[in-house]
Amino acid sequence: MNAILKYRRAAVVVVSIILAVVLQTTLFLRLRPFDAAPALVMLVVIAFARHLPAEFALFGGFSAGLLEDLLSQSALGLWALTLTTVAYFVVRIRDRLEDDFSLLAPFVFGLSVGGITLFAVLGTIFGEKTLADAGFLRNILVPSLYNVALTGLVLPLLTWALGVRDKQNPYQV
Amino acid sequence: MWRPTSVDRPTGVFIGLIVVSLVLITVDLRASGAGIGGTLREGVQDVFTPVQRVVSAGTRPVADFLEDLSDIFSLRGENRRLRDEVIELERQLVEGESLLTRVGELEAILGLEPPAELDSIVAQVLAVGVSEFDHSRVIDRGRSAGITVDMPVIDEGGLVGRVISVTDEVSRVQLITDPSVRVAVRVDRTGETGVLTGRGSAPMVLEMFNTDAAVVEGDTLSSADGRFPAGITVARVLEPARSEVGFSLRTTAEPTAQLTRIDFVRVLVFTRDEAGIQDLEDLGRPPIIIPSDDPPAEGESDEGLPTETTIPTGEGEGEGVTGTGEEGG
Repeated sequence: MNAILKYRRAAVVVVSIILAVVLQTTLFLRLRPFDAAPALVMLVVIAFARHLPAEFALFGGFSAGLLEDLLSQSALGLWALTLTTVAYFVVRIRDRLEDDFSLLAPFVFGLSVGGITLFAVLGTIFGEKTLADAGFLRNILVPSLYNVALTGLVLPLLTWALGVRDKQNPYQV
Repeated sequence: MWRPTSVDRPTGVFIGLIVVSLVLITVDLRASGAGIGGTLREGVQDVFTPVQRVVSAGTRPVADFLEDLSDIFSLRGENRRLRDEVIELERQLVEGESLLTRVGELEAILGLEPPAELDSIVAQVLAVGVSEFDHSRVIDRGRSAGITVDMPVIDEGGLVGRVISVTDEVSRVQLITDPSVRVAVRVDRTGETGVLTGRGSAPMVLEMFNTDAAVVEGDTLSSADGRFPAGITVARVLEPARSEVGFSLRTTAEPTAQLTRIDFVRVLVFTRDEAGIQDLEDLGRPPIIIPSDDPPAEGESDEGLPTETTIPTGEGEGEGVTGTGEEGG
């Protein structure tokens, strides 16, 4: 039973990352209210890092970031570093969080702002000219707000898909 | 005696992954996106292309519907604006026709060949960049359709960007709004040249070096000779230019191409062989191009060799004659 759950969770993580990356790059091509889209992959990383054992969560964040790097022109490893950091923060804070939207919303917003800002700063340090974008504040805040709007859908969906029932001990695989 | 501080397992894994990421970044930057990073990118893009095609086709009706819904609210104002524009364009058309006749006559007198039409490849936008800082689009035509790196991409409005990477099936196009892009432009009304710089989601910045020629709101800017073929409409000036400490005129402009809603584009079959020369836009000054009179040395093929010498005007970085260097790009 344990092994089945383990494989199920691994499969859910892999599928959710791929699905998030594909939707991020296709659905939001034209569906861009205020010319911005949510940081869907980051939201998925936040969602599964709440429930997976710490190491799995970190590797999941790293893999999701690496996939984003490979599908973009940013330096290979930039998104990997960003999403690993996001996963690490989730792992550190998750014990203090409950499944209450009033707590999750500011948590997701803060992590999204922090994650995208980290990417922008690192990008600039490594010569990507990310902060040369005059709309960088908007590029950080609007996707973070969209992430909050999607929190009520993505987080419960992944919690259900990962088969988390025991809220007291969710990381047990 | 010093002892290493104990680190819990998740923190150890985290530090390890951060180190791996930093190594990857360093290796990739040193290889300038080529090498193993480039190969991996191409492979992953090839794997994802069929999935992106299917999802893109599936989500297109939804996006169309929502786009149409949002358009309804702005239709009345848009209609009024378009009527005014039609009247203005009809007037310009009459003027344009008489100008074309005159240009034809002058070309005949001077014995000049009219500019040849460039071949183009029609493509559809397949995917968008993974973040708001990624100003690129993936189009559904690649190497197999004849696309190569550096080809200009346009839509019905004007210049969209240029191809920066190609796989067999798809290409990645860097939009002109990317902060690393500089385009040499000419003001259609006055013929003065300047440089247009991308600023991401904000309007682009236009710098003109002749402070005497005014740039006014609504002026259209076309590509000057440089990375892109001359004469492609690039942007429209948003406000009158202001003088910056007397050295240059500065203003903002918005791309004439619908960059936020591009769907179909045309890739121009154009590669500037002779401008493996330094990237003219990177010089920060509009170029003067002087045809070289020197014939190629005996036994030396002139294929692939520049036939022009580029001199950036004015002062500053990159000043002086740039030769045939291959550092362009």
